[in-house]
Amino acid sequence: MRINVLLFGPLAQRLERDSVSVQTPEERPTAAGVLTALEHAEPSLIPLLSACKLAVNHTFAHDQTPINEGDEVAVIGLVSGG
Amino acid sequence: MARVTVSITDGPIDCMSVIAVDPDIDAGAVITFLGVVRRQEQDKTIDGLSYQTYDPMAKRMLHALADEALVLFEVEAVHVEHSRGIVLVGECSFRLMVAGVHRREAIDAVDWFITRMKESAPIWKTPVFLENNDTIREPKSIAFHEMRELKE
Repeated sequence: MRINVLLFGPLAQRLERDSVSVQTPEERPTAAGVLTALEHAEPSLIPLLSACKLAVNHTFAHDQTPINEGDEVAVIGLVSGG
Repeated sequence: MARVTVSITDGPIDCMSVIAVDPDIDAGAVITFLGVVRRQEQDKTIDGLSYQTYDPMAKRMLHALADEALVLFEVEAVHVEHSRGIVLVGECSFRLMVAGVHRREAIDAVDWFITRMKESAPIWKTPVFLENNDTIREPKSIAFHEMRELKE
């Protein structure tokens, strides 16, 4: 499945863009699978991804959360609000 | 009047504006916390902070935290405001108001909320260094090409 992954904060600054398109080998990947695909697509993000979680439709996902067509997928790294 | 309100607004928050407390709420303590941008950020002198927010998720999470605070601390109302875009030194980027029957639960709820927000709400800040006094404030989140121009 091809998935558009939204990026914010340091991740977006690293790539100088706010999203990246990744291709997973599975037709119905999990959240962990999307992060693995992101590592392959953008190796420069690997040092940052260890502190990241995937959000699906505005909610933090577990590793095994399935990703469906049309889901809004975002990588949330270390946050710094307030 | 809603017991929980959450808003994310462009630029600094007008911390002098009044948050109305529902007169039907039996609140004996109304605690307001203001988050203000400091000049020193991670040992650097800055002119401001640029906040980026993932709006739909940030609003959802801030609302969930406020709902949880109502239950955990048995407070009566929680109002949250956070900035997006540029907020200069001395300006307010975050305002939290908690109303409770007594002060202790309201103060505890404020501290708890801020800790949780800083751990999980999808909001990011980047230091801003102004080139000169004529720099114009961006009305919304700073663009990525502009981020590159910010000096570390």
